[in-house]
Amino acid sequence: MARVREISSGRKPLKRAYVAMFLWFTGRAIQAAAKADNQVKSEFEALPENFTFSLGCLPDGPWMVVGKKNGVVKYLGGKLPEKQHVRLAIKNLDAGFLILSFQESTALATTRNRLVTDGEVPYALAVIRILDIVEVYLLPKIIASLAVKRYPKHWSVARKLKGRIAIYTRALLGL
Amino acid sequence: MKVESLLSFTCPVKMNSGNKVLEGLPFELAGLNAAKPLILASPNDTPPKAIKILLSAFGDSKMTFGLFDGIDEAEDLGTIEYLKNICQKDRYDALIALGGRAADAAKVLNMTVSYKLPDARLLTAETTINKPLGPLVVAITAGATGLETSSLAHFGNRVYRSEYLAPSLAVIDPRLAVSQDAAAMACSGLAAFARAVEAHGAVPENPFRRAYSFAAIRFILENLPAAVSNPGNRKAALAVANAAAMSGCALADGGNTGLHKIGQAFSGTGRGPAGMIMAMALPYMLNDYKVNGGFDLAALLHPLADDDTFAKTPESERADAATDIANRFVSGLQKTAGKALPRTLKETGLPGYLLEDLLETLDAGPDGARLCSVARRMWDGVSPDAKKG
Amino acid sequence: MLLPDYYEFCCRVKLIAGHDALEKIPELLAAKGARKPLIITDKGVAGAGLVDIVSRAAGKLDPNLVNDSVPPDSDLKVVHELAKLYQENACDALIAVGGGSVMDTAKGVNIVVSENATDLMAFSGVGALKRPLKPLVAVPTTAGTGSEVTQVAVIKDHDKHLKMAFGSYFLLPDIAILDSRMTLTMPPFITAMTGMDAMSHAVEACYCLQKNPLSDAHALAAVSLLYAYLPQAVNNPSDRDARLSMAIGACLAGMAFSNSMVGLVHNLGHATGSVCGVPHGLCMAILLPYGLEYNLHKREEAIAGLLLSMAGPHIYKETPEEQRAQKVISLIRKLNDDLHAKTGGRHARSLSEVKDRDGKPAVPREALPQIAQAALLDGASVYNPEETDYEDNLMVLEAAWEGKPLDRAKVKKG
Repeated sequence: MARVREISSGRKPLKRAYVAMFLWFTGRAIQAAAKADNQVKSEFEALPENFTFSLGCLPDGPWMVVGKKNGVVKYLGGKLPEKQHVRLAIKNLDAGFLILSFQESTALATTRNRLVTDGEVPYALAVIRILDIVEVYLLPKIIASLAVKRYPKHWSVARKLKGRIAIYTRALLGL
Repeated sequence: MKVESLLSFTCPVKMNSGNKVLEGLPFELAGLNAAKPLILASPNDTPPKAIKILLSAFGDSKMTFGLFDGIDEAEDLGTIEYLKNICQKDRYDALIALGGRAADAAKVLNMTVSYKLPDARLLTAETTINKPLGPLVVAITAGATGLETSSLAHFGNRVYRSEYLAPSLAVIDPRLAVSQDAAAMACSGLAAFARAVEAHGAVPENPFRRAYSFAAIRFILENLPAAVSNPGNRKAALAVANAAAMSGCALADGGNTGLHKIGQAFSGTGRGPAGMIMAMALPYMLNDYKVNGGFDLAALLHPLADDDTFAKTPESERADAATDIANRFVSGLQKTAGKALPRTLKETGLPGYLLEDLLETLDAGPDGARLCSVARRMWDGVSPDAKKG
Repeated sequence: MLLPDYYEFCCRVKLIAGHDALEKIPELLAAKGARKPLIITDKGVAGAGLVDIVSRAAGKLDPNLVNDSVPPDSDLKVVHELAKLYQENACDALIAVGGGSVMDTAKGVNIVVSENATDLMAFSGVGALKRPLKPLVAVPTTAGTGSEVTQVAVIKDHDKHLKMAFGSYFLLPDIAILDSRMTLTMPPFITAMTGMDAMSHAVEACYCLQKNPLSDAHALAAVSLLYAYLPQAVNNPSDRDARLSMAIGACLAGMAFSNSMVGLVHNLGHATGSVCGVPHGLCMAILLPYGLEYNLHKREEAIAGLLLSMAGPHIYKETPEEQRAQKVISLIRKLNDDLHAKTGGRHARSLSEVKDRDGKPAVPREALPQIAQAALLDGASVYNPEETDYEDNLMVLEAAWEGKPLDRAKVKKG
């Protein structure tokens, strides 16, 4: 007769590394966009001082944390702080991979119940808007137009091009 | 609408369907306050690789879980007793059933564990089930019985029935919905179709139940043929699995469940899966409803036809049009499937004396006479209209 | 039928509907092992004699265990007071008789008594509840909110000016009782706007981003009942079949939207409600045609699909395919017009027609920018098919204020 076997869940080191890398990059890109893009800048200005939010995967990461201190937006690394205003938690690593490999946009993933949002709604909405704009900068149009509901046609070429170069450079250099 | 007597409906099952659904299990289990699930599987009843796919979905969750892949045909309460003791000793706090047979076993095990029965072998069909059981998740697989999501458990020769038996969650993942077995796909889809058709036309009408049966019927009509001609077609197979899960939710308490009863009675003889039997019975059952009433055939046209066809058909012609579509759909599949979907009981090799035994079982219920007459017509497939006169 | 790449659907509530469904309560409670329920309601419901009907139907209920202190807006203090009453009397179940605020309060009380919580805040957000709560029976007294089948509750802390939201499948009531007697005395004006609230749930469920086959099926069934029976219930308030059909329709709509979520109509409606104090149902009625117009280019097929359920085979057949979506919109406008006529003008058709208690316009045109801004803080925008920003909101609000169809050429299409 068959017996019950006790099994421990395996690991997914490659997916984890990929997700961690893209979270790191997204975090730095948000930091960069807060300087290079006026809309992101004003979204952050409307948020309270010491505002902190995180994006990452359940049950235990990887995470990225972005916060605002003395009016400056900074990527704060991958460790969850004790207190934060908004936490966007992707329900599992594989869903995280779908989102961060841009097979599913943040907006689409939200409507597919892939994320759990903790925190006050107005703050969470601001974070989603910021992520949307950053996605437009980071991704080629063909992918980004799938990722956001309305691809910003009204942005000037200059905003797109300059913004994109600035954000990529700053994100990579960590400025 | 007119509601003469009380109308009630419950579907305790949460349904999650689609890409990477299985990977969501650790999160869902946490929401059910469960941390250490026991997975039950039947190797004969699940697509190859299914167990592997399910296990790998837990990757990176840091969970520990148990796996028992020995649910087999025997359906013996001794196995349940063994599993109950393991559950208690090793503190498993949820059950995950992979496939239809495992779902039945898991429901029975859940009863035994949750009610702390001293011995599973004390279970009878009369055991009262009136309190919530522990968390149960069913993973719908290709060849789903459709009863996974229902409040029924068929185990051994017994049928247990209680809303508490229904699972908390059904996960429908395309990787488990595809298979290589066209016949099993056809039977699974036809079982869902037959049950949903009966749930939809059942009287008195129940809009809550009809929401499930409507979606199930549409999914089967639009996807089963594609899924049978290529059971590896992810989209079609996922839709069929969805319909199977929905049909279990729509399975009415009481009301019109003649096809379901006939399917269960005959498939119990090992002459073929319930879906094949129900498909065989469908034209005769619909004809019986037409002749003897007690069923809303006309209401079936909307799910069975597209919106335009439905709107164009005058009210007086809806019942016939619906019957015609349903019959043609079933016979079309039977034609494609050939021997896998025989059209008469005779063709299944069922001995005549067994038919008589089965008729006796069918005769027991209040609708017994009608079911028996349907079953007799299934024997040699003489057109019900020709026989009627 | 469309199968999305991914969806979830859940409504675990046991539903009982009928002209004498309340009589089932003792049996249903007994099946849950409960014998001493606390009945929660508000003064309006109690004053209308509805609690008496429930009490009579449910057998002898202790009058000390009927409490009507729920305010029109859920309140944290009341939640704690009711929880204390529950605990002091060793109650073992809750019966909520009322509309949205009563349901929310009962859900809040249930968290406190089931989790022995001293601080309700600790359970706010999504996923904080991990196990079943005490048995909760919901008896809705309006055919509108659908909160008898939703898994959310909003409790306000009026001292700290905080709005706490709770979301969990464990917040779903165990049982919902839909009984025609609960709505028989509802006046036409209230019937009209609560009915349109339900209609907005069903219609938004059909086009919002989280829609799925099961939410669709529930929504279509709801639309067909609501559209057929709302005028009847308004015309003839004591029509029991119309009342029960509305209750069932509202419940189906609740099941649909709590799984598909809602969009622009609710987004702007919540904002209009909070800025100008307009009743929720009225906001829904006024804004519903605009939600359809605004999203038409993204959801034409889904909107056209409503026509059959709404108007029946004859009108569906007579309407050319490319005009069906537009026909749905004009039928909703026509329904609002009819309700306006039948309620002596109380059912407003545009924001400029809404009057406050003193008969003065409740929504001054100057308030529209503030409403458009407030809408940016509301979560419903996430599930709307088309993007909405401040200017989009303002454009829609202006059209709704004037009561003119939206100039669809001006909608920025993504």
